[in-house]
Amino acid sequence: MIETLLLVLVCIIIGGILSSLAVHLMPVGGAPAAMATATGIATGCVMLMTGAAVTGLFTASTVASFWATNPSVILVALSGAVGAMLMMGFTMFVANLIYIFGAGVVPCSGRVAVDPITRESQTEYKTPRTDGHGVPTVSYVSGILGGFSGGFGGALIYVVLVSDSYAHFSVATAGIVAMGIFIANAIIAAYNIGGTIEGFHDPKFKARIRTGLTCALIVSVLCGVIVVIAMLTGTLVGGVM
Amino acid sequence: MPVISLFAWMLVIAFLAFIACMFEDLESDIGSQSNPNSQIQLAPEMGYIHRYFNKAISGEGLSYALSCTIAGAIAMLMLLKLEPMLVAKGMSLGYAAVLAIPVGAAVGSLVHMVRASTCYVGREAAHKRFEQPIYLDVFYGHLLPIATHNFMAVICITAIAYIQSNLGLLSGVAGASNPFPLPLLCLIWGLTVGAIGSSTGDIHYGTERAFQDKPFGEGRRVVYHGQICRYGDCGIRTSKDVAAFCAKYGGPATGLTFGLIVLFENWRTVIGMLLGGLSVEGLANPAVAAAGGIGIGIVIAAVLTILNRMLEKWTRNKYGPFVGE
Repeated sequence: MIETLLLVLVCIIIGGILSSLAVHLMPVGGAPAAMATATGIATGCVMLMTGAAVTGLFTASTVASFWATNPSVILVALSGAVGAMLMMGFTMFVANLIYIFGAGVVPCSGRVAVDPITRESQTEYKTPRTDGHGVPTVSYVSGILGGFSGGFGGALIYVVLVSDSYAHFSVATAGIVAMGIFIANAIIAAYNIGGTIEGFHDPKFKARIRTGLTCALIVSVLCGVIVVIAMLTGTLVGGVM
Repeated sequence: MPVISLFAWMLVIAFLAFIACMFEDLESDIGSQSNPNSQIQLAPEMGYIHRYFNKAISGEGLSYALSCTIAGAIAMLMLLKLEPMLVAKGMSLGYAAVLAIPVGAAVGSLVHMVRASTCYVGREAAHKRFEQPIYLDVFYGHLLPIATHNFMAVICITAIAYIQSNLGLLSGVAGASNPFPLPLLCLIWGLTVGAIGSSTGDIHYGTERAFQDKPFGEGRRVVYHGQICRYGDCGIRTSKDVAAFCAKYGGPATGLTFGLIVLFENWRTVIGMLLGGLSVEGLANPAVAAAGGIGIGIVIAAVLTILNRMLEKWTRNKYGPFVGE
């Protein structure tokens, strides 16, 4: 019993930390990106990452139902990761299509002079007095990795909560609790970022990731303890829904 | 035959997803919700008195999650009441859905309309100090387009959730239904549809339509912020003119995003299930089915990354470096 509780706690902590990492990897430009004044996706970190993670959660729930009992934790978590990754991939691709053909701008980074992946110069393509625009390759790759990480984290929390060998919550309760833990971590990460971020190449990422992950650890431990208490008292076993 | 039916339902879901996300984006454009709202909010402060509708209930994802969840909860309550009555009369269960889904979506849209009303009046009242009036014709004239566009999005999402939670029954393949209850599926897809509408469609409105009198082909400089384009082809522009413009590119592109996501998510899962020995009785090998789906998903993501790189390269060559000051 103790091992199961510890395992659930550890999985929730890992899932929470991965969720926070994912938000830091998102190329998020917020409101300025909607005017092509900043590089990245034109929405907030929490909104984008939650949208991606719940898409992954949907696929994870379908895949977890393949098994009558004891779903494979790693395969379900990976299914969620790939789901979130695809959501990010399509969203960033179509966003670029609108930037390029709807607004006529070239995707370029505003934070680095040279794209670290393609080694192409960015500065001369940038509109003066903006912070870049569109989703350049390095931000795209960062977003894909972020989607993978966030989807994996969310689905990992879900599968340990729903599996009858671990927490054994009902499907709906496990889904809501997983979403709750994910969103708590995403919001803390968004506060840490404080506005826009382009991805892992952004100097902001290096400067703030340690604080972000530490906060995620604290939040996830708190969430994990509540889940463990729910398991011990049997409050949510079988589910409230 | 049941497997073909599963694919057919998957295409129906993808089609509904396309419609839902397109209308979601256009609704947010009519109401100036989400990120470009910052400009509509800033404009009076910069001396640009306008006739745009101004609402930012919350981020689009949360706002749509609420509308869709209300619709899903009402629909589920009605289904729980109506289905036993239909069974007792020996009628098909589908009749219950035909009534429950539109009624649920109508309630969700009405609640959305109420939030839009309070939002517009509250926001514009706060702009009194910048001499921005509350135009009652703008207020009344935009509520119906907001409600109808929202209704189209919410009804499609609720229908998707209904199909997904009853897919096993509809397609005849055991275990094909999603285990989440209807309102939770509505919450999931409401969040996703809002996140996508906010991420993609807003660019066409915020970058191009709201600043159409500024030079095309450049990012909107910080000095332009708040200086929105207030005049249409004939007369003063309202947010209804924005929808007509964005319906030609931003809206359908946004719909395409969600449609493709839903299509490929379901497609790779079903292909994985076929690899895992799917039959009417269910899956023979769940691990192979899950692994197959993961493998296909990774390939799609890799192809997308390559496509994005090719697009970026093409644009750099075609458009060239920034010209001007």
